[in-house]
Amino acid sequence: MDFELTPEEKAFQKEIHEFLDKECNENVVAETLSLQGAGPYSKELLRKMGANRLLAPRWPQEYGGRGMGAMAEVIKVDEITSHHAPFPLDGVELGNALLISGTEEQKKRFLPGVARGEIDIALGYTEPNAGSDVASIQLRAVDNGDEFILNGQKIYNSEAHVCEYHWLLTRTDPTAEKKHRGLSMFIVDLKSPGITIRPLYTMAGLRTNEVFYEDVHVPRANLVGEQNGGWAVIMSALYGSAVGGGMATGTKNVIDTLVKYVLEEKQDAGENPWIPEALADIYIKTRVGELMGVQAAAYADLGVIPLYGGGASVSRLLGGDTRRLLYNTAMQILGPYGQLVKDSKWAPLDGEILKEFLDAPRWTIVHGSQEIQKLLIATRGLGLPRK
Amino acid sequence: MDPRLSEEQEILRKSARDFLTEKCPKTLVREMEKDEKGYSPQLWKEIADLGWLGLAFPEEYGGGSMSFLDLAILLEEMGRALFPGPFFSTVMLGGLPILDIGSDRQKEKYLPDIISGKTIFTMALTEASGKYDVASVKTKATADNNNYIISGTKLFIPDASVADYFLCVARTDDKAKKAEDGITIFIVDATSPGISKTVLDTIARDKQCEVVFDKVKVPGENILGKLNQGWGEVQKIIERAAIAKCCEMLGGMQVVLDMTVAYVKERIQFDVPVGVFQAVQHHCVYMLVEVEGSRAATYDAAWRISTGRPYSGEAAITKAWVSDAYQRVVALGTQAHGGVSIIEDHDMPLYFRRAKAAELMFGDARFHRKTVARNLGFKVA
Repeated sequence: MDFELTPEEKAFQKEIHEFLDKECNENVVAETLSLQGAGPYSKELLRKMGANRLLAPRWPQEYGGRGMGAMAEVIKVDEITSHHAPFPLDGVELGNALLISGTEEQKKRFLPGVARGEIDIALGYTEPNAGSDVASIQLRAVDNGDEFILNGQKIYNSEAHVCEYHWLLTRTDPTAEKKHRGLSMFIVDLKSPGITIRPLYTMAGLRTNEVFYEDVHVPRANLVGEQNGGWAVIMSALYGSAVGGGMATGTKNVIDTLVKYVLEEKQDAGENPWIPEALADIYIKTRVGELMGVQAAAYADLGVIPLYGGGASVSRLLGGDTRRLLYNTAMQILGPYGQLVKDSKWAPLDGEILKEFLDAPRWTIVHGSQEIQKLLIATRGLGLPRK
Repeated sequence: MDPRLSEEQEILRKSARDFLTEKCPKTLVREMEKDEKGYSPQLWKEIADLGWLGLAFPEEYGGGSMSFLDLAILLEEMGRALFPGPFFSTVMLGGLPILDIGSDRQKEKYLPDIISGKTIFTMALTEASGKYDVASVKTKATADNNNYIISGTKLFIPDASVADYFLCVARTDDKAKKAEDGITIFIVDATSPGISKTVLDTIARDKQCEVVFDKVKVPGENILGKLNQGWGEVQKIIERAAIAKCCEMLGGMQVVLDMTVAYVKERIQFDVPVGVFQAVQHHCVYMLVEVEGSRAATYDAAWRISTGRPYSGEAAITKAWVSDAYQRVVALGTQAHGGVSIIEDHDMPLYFRRAKAAELMFGDARFHRKTVARNLGFKVA
């Protein structure tokens, strides 16, 4: 048993930490905190990170990675999020699936560009009538020989407006007996004629999108995996992301900020004895989730990957709950000042807490709602019966 | 990073589990709850012969020279089996403190007998307040030529009824500027005149005692560590014991999770196993969160002890999480089981009752959250 990072991992952590200390400037941070998707400063930073092979450490060297493990991925995500550098990088996460399900030609075509920070790929699963029940998607892809013709609509595809490609789940066989057997995955150039992207905004001000497909022609070469084998590709994408909650430096920074705020600004802390214990409770939950997430990454690197039911899945569950608790508690600490929006007079802590409070529910919904996570952990992890 | 047990540790775990499955069935656990001693001398001898008592002690005293991590594995297994008896007290609250801060003479005198199973130790720390803080130590030890005279009442002292020796924590200087600076640990022979012991009827029926020291004479050479500087050592003993207790609790809650999952797969209501209902599934999933979190934190902390890393902050985080976790696991476990699990002869009450006792031992979640709050920078009393 050994819970220390390897010297190689520590060196990578130091390298990316120092790089972002230097390169992740206030313009990038402002873009990230704006929740509007990666802007020009962010894209410039991503290209610099790519040039230093910092974006996809888990990929093989030949595709622009470093051939490191899941732990390096955890370290990268931790450094990026705690520096407020652009995130998520769905292209990197989906690249893991492409490594499993893609052809050699597809890997060569897409992975190096993602690793260099030149292209990014947006997730395209959800539709207005297919959320948790993703196998019910209707966006139709009709086989037309060398190409497919696509019609339909996706929704909540965040980052689609700043990404170059779409990782798109389509229905290729509407007659398939089981609905998940008629699905196919494509990588679609988002500049293709017939694609319209319209913004949607969350209550936190985060931009997401509706994406409409109207007679969009997609070459057969962009089909990932088997025709009608899209479900297996989705599963490989989940597999690639099964690293879990990871490290929690960003959350711990927020707790530190709140402690400082209470000690410096709230001179009546003595009259609020619940605050120290409440923040300690959140810190404990954060730290335990971090330990689970990090150990899950170590297990993954040792080839022990309990996809559901292990530390990876439960650390994500705990992380989502803890995030809600953190910002709810933070708002209680701020009292009436907490309701003041960014830039308004008297807004504490730059109005960031309010925004995160409004953004917290998103985290227990995106990438598989908590209810779906629990269903999978219960049935696949614990082996409980489905019917 | 490698969170796995080594091959040797897997063997240790398996042999401990096999042994306890055979020798420590729930019938014995229940029997020992009613037994005056609270443990089986026969079983005690067997675990001594297996080298369990000496596992983490150096070979020169007859020990196994294994690590704290190995001991953690054994404790987890004991927590699974609800092993009755003074193992924890003797090793965590007697032997290891003597190994850490005892003089060569003290080590030679006491450790071989601990390791061979001949003597039982415990620590007499807590008093009327029930708290693990320095202000709660009111028992006094007054110098008298080469001896000290100890007077005071200790409460919630585990296994005191069967202990041969106490590590008694007493105030030796009540004029010290800081309360921490006047505390000394004494090794006290339990047969000394002036000691009276009463077993307390507790939720876990685990032989916690009231121990009254009435002008008990103790030779000055029985000071463990340094005069007036014992509190720092007491804190270290408590922090390590808290992590060790978490190992036991982890074993217990894993059993509760496993038996709950097994039961909801079998229990038929509305013509289906109740495990198909999402309400029940979610109970099981949250139990898993508690158990996995406890495992991740406990073994990280045990590894820190084992490798000589600082672990004070981790002890607080771990005991706070695990204390709450065990409570939630037994609460959800009973809920998922339904009525059958609250009947006294079901195994669940054995774990339910011990979850509370273990939560209270070495500081409950609230106590440790205060420590975490202090570590975050708050001034918390």
